[in-house]
Amino acid sequence: MAHPFPTRGARTAALVALTVAAATACGGGDAPEAEPTLRVALLTSGPVSDAGWYAGAYEGLMRIEQQFGAQVSHQQTATPAEFDEAFIAYATSGYDLIFAHGNEYQDAAIRAGERFPELTIVVSGGGRVSGNVAPLIFRLEEGSYLAGMAAAAMTESGIVGMVGGVEIPPARGTFVAFEAGARSVDPDIEVLEVFTGDWNDVAAAKEATVAQLSRGADVVIHNLDAASFAVFQAVREARAAGRTTWAVGMNSDQNDVAPDVIIGSAVIRIADAFVETVRMWQAGEVGGAAIYASTRQDVIDFVFNPELLDRVPPEIVQRVSEARDMIRAGTLDVPRIEFVEGEAGVR
Amino acid sequence: MVDGGAGGRFARTRWEPVAISLGAIGLTGLVGAVLLLAGGFDPLAAAAAMVRGSVGSWDVFVSITLVRSVPLILTGLAVALAFRAGVWNIGAEGQLYAGAVAAAGVGLAGGGLPAVLLVPAVLCAALAAGAAWAVLPMLMRVRLGVGEVITTILMNFVGIHMAAYMVHGPLQESRGVFPQTDAIAEAARLPPLLPGTRLHVGFAVAALLALGMTVFLHRSRAGFRIRAVGASPEAAHVSGRIDARRVLVGCFLVSGAVAGLAGGVEVAGVTHALYEDLSPGWGYTAIAVALLAGLEPLGVLVTGLLFGALQAGAGAMQRDAGIPAAWVGVVEALVILAVLGLDRLRRTGGRVLPGIRIGGGGGA
Amino acid sequence: MTRPLARLGGIERRFGAVLALDGADLEIRAGEVHGVLGANGAGKSTLLNVLGGMLAPDAGVVEIEGRAVRLGSPRDAWALGIALVHQHFTLVPRLSALENLALGAGHRRGLAGDLEKLMARTGLRVPLDARVEQLGVGDRQRIEILKALLRDPRVLVLDEPTAVLTPDEVDGLFGLLKELAADGRAVVLVAHKLDEVLGVADRITVLRNGRTVLTGPSAGRSVPELVRAMVGGDAVDPIALGLTGVDAGATGAMSRPPAERGETTTSARALHAGGVVVRLRGAALADRSGPGVHGVDLEIRRGEIVGVAGVEGNGQRALALLASGRAVPDSGSAELPSGIGFIPQDRSTEGLIAEFDLVENVGLALQREPEYVRGPWMRWDAVRDAAERIRERFEVAAPSVTTLAGALSGGNQQRVIVGRELTLARDFLVAENPTRGLDVAAAAFVHAELRRMATEGVGVLLVSTDLDEVLGLSNRVYAIARGRLHDVPEERRTREGVGAFMLGGTADG
Repeated sequence: MAHPFPTRGARTAALVALTVAAATACGGGDAPEAEPTLRVALLTSGPVSDAGWYAGAYEGLMRIEQQFGAQVSHQQTATPAEFDEAFIAYATSGYDLIFAHGNEYQDAAIRAGERFPELTIVVSGGGRVSGNVAPLIFRLEEGSYLAGMAAAAMTESGIVGMVGGVEIPPARGTFVAFEAGARSVDPDIEVLEVFTGDWNDVAAAKEATVAQLSRGADVVIHNLDAASFAVFQAVREARAAGRTTWAVGMNSDQNDVAPDVIIGSAVIRIADAFVETVRMWQAGEVGGAAIYASTRQDVIDFVFNPELLDRVPPEIVQRVSEARDMIRAGTLDVPRIEFVEGEAGVR
Repeated sequence: MVDGGAGGRFARTRWEPVAISLGAIGLTGLVGAVLLLAGGFDPLAAAAAMVRGSVGSWDVFVSITLVRSVPLILTGLAVALAFRAGVWNIGAEGQLYAGAVAAAGVGLAGGGLPAVLLVPAVLCAALAAGAAWAVLPMLMRVRLGVGEVITTILMNFVGIHMAAYMVHGPLQESRGVFPQTDAIAEAARLPPLLPGTRLHVGFAVAALLALGMTVFLHRSRAGFRIRAVGASPEAAHVSGRIDARRVLVGCFLVSGAVAGLAGGVEVAGVTHALYEDLSPGWGYTAIAVALLAGLEPLGVLVTGLLFGALQAGAGAMQRDAGIPAAWVGVVEALVILAVLGLDRLRRTGGRVLPGIRIGGGGGA
Repeated sequence: MTRPLARLGGIERRFGAVLALDGADLEIRAGEVHGVLGANGAGKSTLLNVLGGMLAPDAGVVEIEGRAVRLGSPRDAWALGIALVHQHFTLVPRLSALENLALGAGHRRGLAGDLEKLMARTGLRVPLDARVEQLGVGDRQRIEILKALLRDPRVLVLDEPTAVLTPDEVDGLFGLLKELAADGRAVVLVAHKLDEVLGVADRITVLRNGRTVLTGPSAGRSVPELVRAMVGGDAVDPIALGLTGVDAGATGAMSRPPAERGETTTSARALHAGGVVVRLRGAALADRSGPGVHGVDLEIRRGEIVGVAGVEGNGQRALALLASGRAVPDSGSAELPSGIGFIPQDRSTEGLIAEFDLVENVGLALQREPEYVRGPWMRWDAVRDAAERIRERFEVAAPSVTTLAGALSGGNQQRVIVGRELTLARDFLVAENPTRGLDVAAAAFVHAELRRMATEGVGVLLVSTDLDEVLGLSNRVYAIARGRLHDVPEERRTREGVGAFMLGGTADG
């Protein structure tokens, strides 16, 4: 049952903890600036040691601290009631900008936005907009499309699998794009899809992956948080059983999480997007509309695992690179599912 | 006082839970400090953050600690009542979700009604759904003799998944995008108890219920019968000619109803919509809340507040002292262990938790 | 003769605020049966538990063959050849008799063979393959004794072994104990019945309030002398002493105080005057833990005491539940009055709630009476008054009515139950082994109260395994065997006569 805990994740967690402890111990006394310090908080509903979605956000928070000299804070919250509390707690202690890293925060963000007009809240993947609440939409479909191309090139069985967490539009969108990318390489490819209903349920993710592998899939992509390790582990175990199986990373560069099985990762450079968002906020450009981050800003990408590059046909590396350029140029349309209110077709 | 008839009777129960609670808190604090030091954190900074985040200001205390204590008090009362009758209802979590689903359903459907009708309707729906969630384990216990510990735990999973299904299916928001319901009607929401804060009248409901339950248990005949059956089903049957089965059925259902109310109050008072992860495990924490209170309803009011403060302070420890969330879970687990350990010590040679037997004459 | 096999000197032991032993002495010699006597709460069981290594004394010395030893656990005691047969059973219900014995003896080859020999030698026979939960208390008691004997002990300690045995079995057990003593072992015996103890013991030790007040040879001791030593010279009930029984009861009034004799006669007269208060017709009730009862036809009139004698586990439980209205017959009918009191045999689990105080324990039964309830509320003030009355009238040794029932001694618990049930028994009282485990004074008190109830026109059903009690108190006597009641005719109401009904259940015995 034990999934391999990535050493990087552990190191990150320890580092993070120490950094925050040190920051708290210093109490901000080491930044005697005249102008008021920028205060930025991050809310996640999962652990920042996931080497993925939450870890990327935490990295962003650390970069904001370094680049802007901001006072930063993070809280992991689990329930809607806690979301409200965290917003209130941060707002009343003078925080300016809160990154709420998941669509689950959107209702609480709107409520807090009404109550604290001075506050700005950025909801990653959110669907609701107000004057001081802005969704930050990652066009991960673009990276996922490229991942689909790579997967189609690697499969021998002609079957690829997708294991998702909660079935929400942003997650479904990545799978739709993955499928489209795969079909652009092999129109006859068979694609399996399952949502476990939980981003962090390791056991469910592993079970789902094993099921797909036993149905013939030999490349599996995920859209999970902490449970993604289970996907890699299941693929690794199939490998140990004598099959040639691959996994695809998602949300952050997971290539070195399982360098023996991950062929490449569809990445969101969340930290880059966060830093950019702070810049926009300082320029007064955050609020009232969604913020989009895509391959165009290099926030979204697909990164081959350098350790396995010799196993990938060179022509597919080339095709992925070309497709990326076309997406940036707007000449290749990646299918996606819109969900932000005010967008085309969304109430 | 509540216990006019035989005042001394209270004396033995009044201080014992307090001593146990203080012991548990002290023990937990000590172990917690050691753990923090081992992790390289400053226990004093953590303690300061905890205090600031729970009782640091009036706003924090009212809008966070008190609001958070409401579901803990309600589920704690549900567990205390059941345990008092010897019903080991571990299913408050599932009953809470059932209540939350029903409350959200009524709150969404009853948009046209005025608040004076809709709010009671929402709460009644939550009560009924919680009780309904207890029916199956109750029947299995009474008719088939299947222990309710297992069945109520299983019903928790059913309840949690039922709520998940509802927000993905029948009750999903009209946009059909996210796994949550639309916001319930304004008229279905609990009015604020203190204007300008998040505190809603659900807190008053919980406090009154705790008071009423105390009076009921200690002054009424039915309450006395419940205590007798819980203390000794054999003696209740033989010496009291009490129908233990009826008491059991009643307490099981009422316990479920109160736990369901906790879910309804949370939806109508705080979240105003149904979500998958509505509860962080209140129904389980409730067991510690109830045991720490010595199963006394007024004690539950106190321990519910204590746990509310603990949970509120835990958030502040993350925010202000940078203590990771996992540690919070450790603290809660420590409290529960300390409580259970001390509770067991108190009654050495007492009953084994799940192995209780109904005193039945004839039957079968 | 020179040196005692075991000696306990100046033993003190405290339980919380209660000083159970306050300098008790006990000297046991090889080759003797030693009786330990005392009222309830005198410290008999505590002292024996110290000897058996179950309890460590707070002060005092324990010497085995003149050598001071520390008995930290039963294991230490076993190693020194001391085996304790408990008052409470320590068997595993789900295991067979043989398995339980193997547990006690340690697994070894040839255990079954050894056991066969032991059973043949001692006459203690048990079905080795039967599961303990299916066996009656008598068999369980025998298993406990066999378990102790398997250790081949030098000192065999028995705490109340006779309560659940038939008269014949008691005789057999005592014969065995004498044999064991003749072998050069020592036997220590606790029993309530003074005549039993005097019949078998070579020497006796009497405890009172945790101290040894008398010790010496039993020969030449009279029962009144022992009673005075035990309780300090109170008036005593000859039935409880075990003196009366059949012969005394049958031969006349000599052993009874005249006044009591008169009351009984009055109640005998009332038998004819009183109406029927209870009528069971063809009543049957199954019982998971015993044989139940079937075909019970029983009428009880006001003012009479109907006694039911029998060996434990022959349906007494079901009969008591039926007659007290605690169970509805599976078939047949039961006509019962409204004012029923029930003194159940198991006072600690059925009669009282240990963690409730006296007020609540009295309220437990009174909550059904209209005068103690107002609407949905308990009238705790009225219940408290009733509890106060019971405490005074029945001389319950409790500091106040808010004392927890569990803190009382067995005799005082029984006083609370008797007092409570008598207030309810306006028409009918069921008493199930009402004096089991009580000392002389307490038993005498209970007997007097049963008689008083009868004279006041209450019908009384006395279900007891104590033959002397049944014969001494009852106007009419039934024997119960394998779930059936047998009317014992007047002329056969002797120990042997009733005993025959109890065992065979046949009229010709």
